[in-house]
Order: sequence, then structure tokens, then C-alpha cells
Amino acid sequence: MSPEVALPMAASLLIPHRTPMRLVDTLLSVHEGCGVTESVLPRTSMMADGEGRLDEVAFMEMIAQSFAAYKGYLDLVEGKPAGEGFLVGVRHLEVTGRAYAGDRLLTSIRTVTAFGGFAVVEGSVARGDETIASGIIKLWLVEDGR
Amino acid sequence: MNALRMGIRASATGDIARTGPETVARRYRFAPGFIGFSGHFPGNPILPAIVQVCAVVSLAEEEGGKALRLAAVRSAKFLSPIRPGEEVSIGLRRSVDSGDPICDATLSVAGKTSASFQRRLAEEEPPR
Repeated sequence: MSPEVALPMAASLLIPHRTPMRLVDTLLSVHEGCGVTESVLPRTSMMADGEGRLDEVAFMEMIAQSFAAYKGYLDLVEGKPAGEGFLVGVRHLEVTGRAYAGDRLLTSIRTVTAFGGFAVVEGSVARGDETIASGIIKLWLVEDGR
Repeated sequence: MNALRMGIRASATGDIARTGPETVARRYRFAPGFIGFSGHFPGNPILPAIVQVCAVVSLAEEEGGKALRLAAVRSAKFLSPIRPGEEVSIGLRRSVDSGDPICDATLSVAGKTSASFQRRLAEEEPPR
């Protein structure tokens, strides 16, 4: 594998989101439809309150951005520009834990299916050994769906 | 309160209107400089899905007078993009299902539904 596509890789090279709305930092691994990203949000994040506690809505976006990073990486490996994708649906997202600015959060995604320009993805966000959110998202992949 | 929720509250253009026994509505206009558009996406600003979800949580908080957090999203559909400056109407209905407090919400622009959700909210716990 060439150094240009070696992992871990900065998510900013793979997804169109930019600070402060980019919530994932690094794509750590990719394997057979699955990917793992890392996030460490700063105390100054728009998602952190005065106590540093992160708004729970951030976890849904972390799952979506993690899939975007995974897909962007696959595009990069194939020598294509990263395709665009939009979150179009969420199902059964459960928030079971808390996270704070400075926490190292790992988001794992698994592609359930991808067809006709759409992808269905399972995802979970973990802080240490604790899963703090999990759910299913649906994305529209513009490049494939045109 | 985080900066995103403060920005959402500042984007409200009217008071909360009670539209039924369990329903309320409010209008918002997210200006081009609204913090939620920052980085999403450069040159192609679209109101992020999480901002839409957060706006509903914020409206439920203000309507109920209690700090709330998102506990679950049973289902959500994002049907069309919301651009800077568009007037967004958020309608919210509270109910109880199997003992769980449920919040159904719809976002619409120019009378057209742009997103709909069903989610469970929980009262905020004291900070650690």
C-alpha cells in the first residue's frame, strides 16, 4: 500500500466537513465493510457545554461522518475523488452514555447494505469499554445515485 | 448550554405557539453566519441533520421549561436540504408510549416537510 493511502489517516483528507462541524479526527482502520474512527473534541467545541459535556446529538453525526471517512478512503484507494453523501435517515439510535470534551471516542461502522445510491450502516460510539450510542443510519451517496 | 443550542435559540424568529393540547410550533431562520453552517459544507452550506435534531430538543426544552437530552431516535427522515436564510417551521407533539416520553417533530420550509422525527427525550441530569 502506498504511503498516500496508509492508515491511520486524517479524516479531513476524506470528508468534506470542516471544523467546527467535523466531529471525527482520524480514520483508524478499514476492513471488509467496516471502519473505525477516532474523535477527541476540544472544550471549545460547539457541542460542549460549560462543564465540557458533549451534546448527545453529536453521536449520530459521528456515525455518519465515520461512514463518510470510510467511503472516502475506499474512493481514495481506487484513485477517485471522495464522493459526497448525505444523511437521509436514522433508526433505533439509542444513547446510553455520556462523553466529555477531551474523551477519546471510537466510532465503529459496518455497512449493512449498499444499493441504488443508498447505504444502510450500523454504527456505535464507545468511550473506553463503554458503548455510549448505537444505531442505524441511511445515507444517500450522490456519486452513485446520480 | 453549548454554543450550538445557544445559536439555535437565537435563530428563533417568533414565540412558541401552542397549536393543540400536546402540540407547539415555532419559526426559525438560520442566517448564513449561524454557527451550525460552519464547515458544513464550505461553499455549499446545508443545515446539518444534527442541528435539526438539536433544534427540536431545544424547542422541547423551552416549551417544557426543563433541560433535556436526547435519549433515543426511533426514526428520522431528512427529506430535503435546508439552506441559509430559509424560514423553518418546527412542529412538535409530545406523547407517551409504553411509559416512555415521546416527541414527534416535523421541520418544514415553505409548507413542505423537510424532515420528520420520532425521538425519546430524557430530563438532564446534574453535571458530574
